[in-house]
Amino acid sequence: MLRKEQNDLLTQTGPGTPMGRMFRSYWIPALLAEELPENDCPPVRVKLFSERLLAFRDTRGRCGLIDEFCAHRGVSLWFGRNEECGLRCCYHGWKYDVTGQCIDVPSEPQASGFAKKIKLRSYPLIECGGVMWTYMGPAESQPPLPEWEFITVPRAQTFTSKRVQESNWLQAMEGGIDSSHVSWLHRGDLNSDPLFKGARGNQYNLSDARPVFEVVESAGGLHIGARRNAEGGNYYWRITQWVMPSFTMIAPRGNHAVHGHFWIPIDDETCWAWSYDYHPVRELTSAELAAMRDGKGVHVKYVPGTYRPLANKDNDYLIDRAAQKAGRTFSGVEGIAMQDASLQESMGPVVDRTKENLVSTDNGIIMARHRLLRAVKAFVDKGTVPPGIDPEHQKVRSAAIVLAAEVPFTEGAREALIARPAVAPASV
Amino acid sequence: MMSESARMNSAAEARFRVQAPNSLPRSIRVIALDETGEEAVTRLAGAAWTQATFLTAASTGGALHDLAGHVRTVEDEVKASDLVVFVAGPGGRAHAVSRIGEACSLERVTTTGLIVGAGSASEIDLSKTLAQIRPWSLTVVLSKNDDYIDDMLTALRA
Repeated sequence: MLRKEQNDLLTQTGPGTPMGRMFRSYWIPALLAEELPENDCPPVRVKLFSERLLAFRDTRGRCGLIDEFCAHRGVSLWFGRNEECGLRCCYHGWKYDVTGQCIDVPSEPQASGFAKKIKLRSYPLIECGGVMWTYMGPAESQPPLPEWEFITVPRAQTFTSKRVQESNWLQAMEGGIDSSHVSWLHRGDLNSDPLFKGARGNQYNLSDARPVFEVVESAGGLHIGARRNAEGGNYYWRITQWVMPSFTMIAPRGNHAVHGHFWIPIDDETCWAWSYDYHPVRELTSAELAAMRDGKGVHVKYVPGTYRPLANKDNDYLIDRAAQKAGRTFSGVEGIAMQDASLQESMGPVVDRTKENLVSTDNGIIMARHRLLRAVKAFVDKGTVPPGIDPEHQKVRSAAIVLAAEVPFTEGAREALIARPAVAPASV
Repeated sequence: MMSESARMNSAAEARFRVQAPNSLPRSIRVIALDETGEEAVTRLAGAAWTQATFLTAASTGGALHDLAGHVRTVEDEVKASDLVVFVAGPGGRAHAVSRIGEACSLERVTTTGLIVGAGSASEIDLSKTLAQIRPWSLTVVLSKNDDYIDDMLTALRA
């Protein structure tokens, strides 16, 4: 459980809140590069940390993330005309560049210099690995660009999607580090999902539903090891990475792509679940890409024209009680991502953690909260740079590995937990 | 018509969650296995916990004592527990874990092993303690900050 004030501290991320300020000290994924496909394309509404913004790519290919509303009368610039290196408001023609600087106020004499006095709040927006990243903190504290492996491998080796989740970011993220639910909620998918099936490790998962956990602090966050019995007295380890504040990487299966998530607050009751799949040493096959686009693995099918999952709360997540009864799915909801999201959204927009009853196997979640609380306090009180900003903290990998019983996973998997270019992941 | 989930997942409906307690108190034994663990457990015992009992098997040849020095029986303490938390430092001096762990195993009592002082310890010293407590712990935690145990006990409603 968390006390109410702790829960409020971690779940509230709007402007000026401690957690919101800390989140804003990171580069975070803002939108997919495919959403701004060409110069002068339509602008895109983006809401992050309870701020309504607008992303656009100008005539020269420069990208910006600016306040959504015109400084004149408060009209949404989403209706604006993206032309000649700026976004022009359709109401009275005020025009802004990618930095939010007003560059034209047609009703005022150009010589008056009035336009120079108008500037919308703006944030940098850069493309890396098919994702547009933004930094929303103070300019003087802007950190180095992100170096997560899934955005630094060649584009043919990586695929990223995103979906809206209608819950607070923390309950979504906590699902990503809660390894003990996999053997229950997702057990029907391990041997059927094309992005999971066939791995030897799946059998260890399915034959031992009560893993033993080891939670170890890392420089950027946590290593969460789940240990199951393997042949010859050895242990099969699945080691999840969590890097602060909200990056997770799930242990791989066989030669499948490695996957994981970012959980980014839209506001306090909604978040983006970013999902990536990549392989460090090979291109993704056309079959894999087709499966990912079809919503398999950690991805979802969409309501056409949106990033909202096709199975959502408005249609009861297309729950199939017959499939549940027959054991084809454990919860009746199809697909790993929506199995998680349906349950996390059922907790309500912000779950009341004063009522929960955690157990020993929840130590990964307890430790993550502990580290977030410590980091946000140090950040607010002393300006301490939080873990996960240093690019070295981002060069991590998850691992699935069989080790001798006496070997600690932090020792036996030491190399495997570091991203090394052109080196295959440790996977069973 | 609005779906069941759309209606029930709302903040408005969250207000109608049953407010009655949904669990009985759990009895937690926090047991120091070595001197480092005893320091941590003694500090913890000074705080206000309602469901935690603090014991040590650190300096008495493996026998169990409360912090006032009174002898306690392993079997009785384990039988009275819902959860046993082992606390030890690096260096492999957690010998008492096997006897207590065996009792927990017989009584089907859940165990958590916590290694304190892990932040400044060598891998070899950590490995020694890990090798001792791992066979007897459902979950093992290596924390760089010793105040993690406070947060863990709070989270577990100790």
